[in-house]
Amino acid sequence: MTTLIPPQIGASDLAIVTRNLSKQYGSQFALHDVSLHVPTGAVYVLVGPNGAGKSTTIKLLLDLIRPTGGSVEVLGLDAQQQGPLVRANIGYVPEQSEWGYPWMRVRQLLDHHRAYFPQWDAAYAERLSALFHLKTDSKVSALSKGEARRVHLTMALAHRPPVLILDEPTDGLDPIMRDETMAALVDHLAETPTTVLISTHRVEEVQQIADHIGVLNEGTLRTQLPTEALRTSLRRYRAIVPDGWQGASALDGAVLQRTGSGREIEWIMWGDERDVTAGLTTLGASVTDVTALSFFDATLALLKSKG
Amino acid sequence: MLIRVDSSDPRPIYAQIVDEVRRALVLGTLLPDTPLPSVRQLAVTLRVNPNTVAQAYRELEHLGLAYVRRGQGTFAASSPPPDQDRASLARDIAAHALDEAQRIGLSIDELIDTIRTVSSTRDEDSRA
Repeated sequence: MTTLIPPQIGASDLAIVTRNLSKQYGSQFALHDVSLHVPTGAVYVLVGPNGAGKSTTIKLLLDLIRPTGGSVEVLGLDAQQQGPLVRANIGYVPEQSEWGYPWMRVRQLLDHHRAYFPQWDAAYAERLSALFHLKTDSKVSALSKGEARRVHLTMALAHRPPVLILDEPTDGLDPIMRDETMAALVDHLAETPTTVLISTHRVEEVQQIADHIGVLNEGTLRTQLPTEALRTSLRRYRAIVPDGWQGASALDGAVLQRTGSGREIEWIMWGDERDVTAGLTTLGASVTDVTALSFFDATLALLKSKG
Repeated sequence: MLIRVDSSDPRPIYAQIVDEVRRALVLGTLLPDTPLPSVRQLAVTLRVNPNTVAQAYRELEHLGLAYVRRGQGTFAASSPPPDQDRASLARDIAAHALDEAQRIGLSIDELIDTIRTVSSTRDEDSRA
């Protein structure tokens, strides 16, 4: 499987870089040759279906598991050489809570966590606890998925780390709490310069804050680019073609999706709008409509295409 | 002034914010020399990336629709927006109508005639 378009981000000023990162379990590749580029200060959304390798990527970034091949650099630090220092600079919300101290109450856990982070902002932690309605007297082992998520978010934000890594951060949250979580995250970003990596299979929940996107599918990074480039370089083209039209094969490569039958066809295609329209016209198709895609539709097209 | 963005809209979010502020200036719901919400406030209200709001504010400043007062934030431009902005709103509507007409193979003349017909029917209805 090839990358749809080459990464367009220069090597300079990247907060997170992976080079040909792979993770193999037996003969099975969970992750294959992934070169992730997350610019400093970006809100980078890593999208992909369940099982695409998102959580594996994140665990490799934090050096919680070891790669089969390739390397990880976070803030210029090699994750395999300097794992503890890397983790000290990251606020991490895991997809699944594995509490080291299930018998602790939430308040104790926050105090315990605080001890590891000199930058811990106690007043901010209190504010977040109130905002997220944390039950500080509950045992952590008794928390629901959504409650656990909010505890993790509090722990991740309260030390104002330079890097936030959020694995499915809205999973298990009800719509109101999800909305308040997004508000808290936006407020945090307005106050604290942060590089954010969010993994999700629900693009619609984070699309408003994303400025970079990476599409992971079957362990391969299909593409990564600024969301602005995604908006300008993907279009939906509708055209009327002559009976028995044979021009379709000439479009291969640029086509992400094709629908319609008979003489009316619709494609979602990469490329400069004028070039694509001219190309279609040359092939004998009469273009009737060109429309831009919403971020969600564009992402969906990327996820569905098997290019 | 009410600023709203729609993530299903193919326009980038910063451009939607710019258009909303321009609309408010033309409508008079945003008065000259009044402060715009802070980047942080608007980002939280809209649940969008603060960088996107900052980008919209830079664009507004570049277009002459807003200015920055050091340490005080961003303000709506002092002079009422030139007619050009009313014209640009009209162009947006016209472009949208043309796109829709083209989609179903309607000519410009047919579209303009139809707008006149619909408008006069409405006038009659409102008199009735």
